[in-house]
Amino acid sequence: MATLNLQHIDKIYDNNVQAVFDFNLDVKDGELIVLVGPSGCGKSTTLRMVAGLEDISAGKLLLDGRDITATPAKDRDMAMVFQSYALYGHMTIYENMAFSLTLRKENPNVIHKKVLAAAEILGLTSQLNKKPAQLSGGQRQRVAMGRSIVRNPKVFLFDEPLSNLDAKLRGATRREILLLHKRLKATMLYVTHDQTEALTLADRIVCMSMGHVQQVGTPLELYDSPANIFVASFIGLPPMNFYDVRVDGEQLVGEGFQVSLTPEEHHTLRAYHNKEITLGVRPENIVEGADVPVSVTSNENLGMNTLVHGYIGGARGVRISAKLKGWRDYKTGESASFTFNRKHFFDKETTNAIRGGEG
Amino acid sequence: MTTEERTIQRDRMRFIKNSLSSNLAILGILFDVFYFVSLYQSDVDTYYYNYLIGISIVYNLIFMLAVFLSSEGVKNYKRNYSYLLAAVGIGQIVRIFIIPMRAHATTTIVNGESVVVMQDGQFFWMVACLAASAACLVISAVVNFIRCNELEAHLKTLETQGV
Repeated sequence: MATLNLQHIDKIYDNNVQAVFDFNLDVKDGELIVLVGPSGCGKSTTLRMVAGLEDISAGKLLLDGRDITATPAKDRDMAMVFQSYALYGHMTIYENMAFSLTLRKENPNVIHKKVLAAAEILGLTSQLNKKPAQLSGGQRQRVAMGRSIVRNPKVFLFDEPLSNLDAKLRGATRREILLLHKRLKATMLYVTHDQTEALTLADRIVCMSMGHVQQVGTPLELYDSPANIFVASFIGLPPMNFYDVRVDGEQLVGEGFQVSLTPEEHHTLRAYHNKEITLGVRPENIVEGADVPVSVTSNENLGMNTLVHGYIGGARGVRISAKLKGWRDYKTGESASFTFNRKHFFDKETTNAIRGGEG
Repeated sequence: MTTEERTIQRDRMRFIKNSLSSNLAILGILFDVFYFVSLYQSDVDTYYYNYLIGISIVYNLIFMLAVFLSSEGVKNYKRNYSYLLAAVGIGQIVRIFIIPMRAHATTTIVNGESVVVMQDGQFFWMVACLAASAACLVISAVVNFIRCNELEAHLKTLETQGV
């Protein structure tokens, strides 16, 4: 397989709109990198630049140390799986999977072996004589992946491959992609706007916004130590709660509530005494307690958890969402009281996370 | 070719259509069309004014329909279509003796002169078209027959292996 290095990549379109700014990434051999971000953040553009479908305006792209910035797409030895499957409707699944190799005039017997092997991996052996229209969305996407597998490319590129599938199929196909990655040990770049896909699939996640890389790290790093407010708000469902608070000694004072700081947290915020910061709290880090008075507006039971929404300090306060363990039955307008188990701190001006070593 | 290569080639037939047989059958139709559009080209216009015109038109329609259906059948390794193609192929040879041969051997009086109904050039072209059509159809039938047998044997082997 292969390593991939993206060095200071920019993408500027002809109308002078810049879609990607100084993108840097080193993809290790066999790594599955997920590019995640909202629509228009430049993740698909980046993937298309890697594939060779878009020109790179500035920077370098290296595959196994070889500069392929100006190499045409067909010579890059990469395979791309699209959201729309891009299968040939008049061909059987076998013919679809064999097509790229047939074009290359490979030996038909070799093609046959490769197609059968890929079909075996993807569980498509019994579908090989069917046409794409006879398959489900998940099966069609597997065919699209099979078409990539038979080529044995150095890098697999996935552009939102699960977006056309319903929720159930998406989950199943996601697990298949993960198994496929483990089996092939291939270098993969995967683009999605779905943070669940990103967290479950990735070895490392690249979180993007407005063409800029916001953070690169493992799923746990992005979830547990978000680099800034954007990453903190994008990763995690339901999203993180944010509050403007003032650091007042060993306490944080917000609108309608006051929470104590642990000694470690106090140490982290030592440079922010008497200053305003942004406090971030994940809904799952909120428990019933005595610090934050809440007026409940809705109560959603999810089985194992209950999502409680409300306002801090009355109906005109700031919003809060809490994911409480177990079954709760708060009524609308009922008063509740919560405590924050784990807090994230962000500089109000830069929106960057405040870490323990800073200050 | 090694045994393994031969086995893979047979296994491919499970997924690849028999396009050789199918295309040969279509080629058979094409040669027949060449034959038919040139058949009634003659200065001796009254010679062909008999029931043979109607019969040959009807036969031609049936021929084209049968061969087209067979081309689809052999594409999917249906053995019975081999028999049909072979029969129709032999029929093409027989057709040489029905109109072209008779017209080539017949003279008629036009403007007080004895004229051969079908001249040599046209006759040989007719024979060539029908012979080529027949050859395509028979080869198509034979190829399909052989492939069907091979595929059947291969599928039996796979069945015994539990694949």
